[in-house]
Amino acid sequence: MTTLTRQDLNFGQVVADILCEFLEVAIHLILYVREVYPSGIFQKRKKYNVPVQMSCHPELNQYIQDTLQCVKPLIEKNEAEKVVVVIMDKEHHPVERFVFEISQPPLLSISSETLLSHVEQLLRAVILKISVCDAVLDNNPPGCTFTVLVYTRESATRNMEKVQVIKDFPWIVADEQEVLMQEPRLIPLKTMTSDIVKMQLYVEERAHKGQQNTA
Amino acid sequence: QKDHSPSPSSDPKVILLPCKSAPSRERVQLWLHAKRQYECLQREMKRIG
Repeated sequence: MTTLTRQDLNFGQVVADILCEFLEVAIHLILYVREVYPSGIFQKRKKYNVPVQMSCHPELNQYIQDTLQCVKPLIEKNEAEKVVVVIMDKEHHPVERFVFEISQPPLLSISSETLLSHVEQLLRAVILKISVCDAVLDNNPPGCTFTVLVYTRESATRNMEKVQVIKDFPWIVADEQEVLMQEPRLIPLKTMTSDIVKMQLYVEERAHKGQQNTA
Repeated sequence: QKDHSPSPSSDPKVILLPCKSAPSRERVQLWLHAKRQYECLQREMKRIG
């Protein structure tokens, strides 16, 4: 077994590439499953050897890509603690939060050449969980929209600045009160543990989606 | 090896979000409608020859 540090072989970059590709698929699928956009804009594709629904709307696809391109430097440096896909009602109050909790071990134990296929297998299981999550969630009110949040540390925001300027895609610090829900229902979807990354996915769901959150 | 990373107390946690909003459902719905009309027109033109 070979033990590598995060600096070796630029593993941070490899992990960031894998995770951002995964998050892109996951975001498209969440938007489809939770009916944030009309189903007509989604097309069936194969990712991780399973069928998924991906949007073919150019502006939406670009938005998702730009978002993840800004998040990537944080993941690369292991500075993104959580990436959260928030679905909001017409009044911009969160109704659902898909929380991807990410942690990367400082030392990487590479046991075999099958590492990447093992990671792919784990990510496939997460994708499959997302594709059936509507069974355990209440319907969302009409007219929902979404945003992506990143939980990081203040010092890490400097890593994003260059990308923000290049992509003309600025980010701001969110007001915690506006992005959180009071006493949400917690639905664990999947936990994955691999040599290069650990990820926990759960959904926080607002108790009464039809009613406005009084937080 | 000395750790040069700032202490958690001097480096508070922050939540970031993009300034730009994702396209609205209505905007996407309009695009889809236009796309379907275009595809219908294309099929009709092919049929006519």
